[in-house]
Amino acid sequence: MWIPIQINESSPEPLYHQIETQLRSLIVSGQIDEGTLLPSIREFAGSLSCSVITVRRVYQDLESEGLLRTKQGTGTFVAKVGAGERDEYRRVAVQEALESAVEVGKSVQYGKEELKELFLKILNKKYLENEGSDPK
Amino acid sequence: MTEQLALEFRGAVKRGLRKVIGPIDMQIPVGYIVALVGPNGSGKSTILQMLMQITTLDAGEIKWFGETSTGILPTELKQGIAYVPEGPVTEENFMTVEEAAGFRAHWYPSWDHNRFEELVARFNVPRKERLNRMSKGERRKFEIAAALAIRPKLLLLDEPSSGLDPFAWKDMIDELRSCMDGEDLTIVLSTHIVDEVKRLADYIVLVHQGQTLGMFEKDMLYGSFKEIWVRGELAGIEKFAEVISCQDDGPSTKKLIVRDRQDDWSASHLKELQIIKSRSLELEEILDLWIKGHRPQ
Repeated sequence: MWIPIQINESSPEPLYHQIETQLRSLIVSGQIDEGTLLPSIREFAGSLSCSVITVRRVYQDLESEGLLRTKQGTGTFVAKVGAGERDEYRRVAVQEALESAVEVGKSVQYGKEELKELFLKILNKKYLENEGSDPK
Repeated sequence: MTEQLALEFRGAVKRGLRKVIGPIDMQIPVGYIVALVGPNGSGKSTILQMLMQITTLDAGEIKWFGETSTGILPTELKQGIAYVPEGPVTEENFMTVEEAAGFRAHWYPSWDHNRFEELVARFNVPRKERLNRMSKGERRKFEIAAALAIRPKLLLLDEPSSGLDPFAWKDMIDELRSCMDGEDLTIVLSTHIVDEVKRLADYIVLVHQGQTLGMFEKDMLYGSFKEIWVRGELAGIEKFAEVISCQDDGPSTKKLIVRDRQDDWSASHLKELQIIKSRSLELEEILDLWIKGHRPQ
């Protein structure tokens, strides 16, 4: 199966970290279903142009986090992700995005009130858009 | 995790007329692809020839799958090794594809003729032609197909892609990868093609002036240096051990090449400076720094 992972070669973030973060988010967000057989280490390494050592490390890390399980001789599968974990993951992902947005604001000397005002404006605009096109 | 070793060099030396290759100390674990990279004439081909015993050692020793050989390698061991030399061997020059296949099948009991047929078809090797009448690329494709057809345990490739067109090159990369899946194959290849290293290698060995300068996991190399552009002044910036080079790049902007440590050295030591941009170095740039004595860590 093809796993949509995008590597940014010029990013200073280590390769194994990029792959691990993206694979974890694909699993926890439910974009890859429970029970999915992941590509073999060599196959995955080939499609990402990285070494088998890196892919093995990612599989081992995610296995010890309980997101993957390996069956001897068959391969590596996606394990069951609990609802609690999924919610936690969503919260962390949104929180990180907001934190970095606030950092950008601070770096260009935006005040707290100014930022809040802009945030609410965007919030209203985005949610209004959604309600307009998809009334639910 | 203890890994089985496919190859082990212990102080292996070959003294030539013009230069000395070695002493080489290197350990290659089973099941990986190792790329030998380095300038022309650095000794890559000699290292592969040492492994085939085409070149005899003047000092030191080599172990193949844990076995040291004082004389000629045992036949059973050698039958598990496939070698594609830089230039084709003359013995098969006047044979056709079928004849050469028969010749090889005689010497390699593990010769898999179906596999050979499949590869010859896939690579579009002309069957009726004598080997010395083929184009360089066609001959190369025959050599690679014949090497893979013995289903080797150890595959030695000396600049495998030389002469191949881009389509055949891609087919070869795919074939080599699929051979690695599941089987305990170990590949040692010498190459100048950065893309080949990127797509295939697990480990990179840099060979320079007859010496191996070390073996690194490919993906660890990528993170070893970065280039950053900074604005502002910091006295004595060139003196940091992490800073490899520092150049002015426009008004009050400096371009630095620094060692990239996982502790995020630049963020803590260069905080008086404004970091405008940063990027990881490309593989060829990393190898270039390595040759100049900046060993990755």
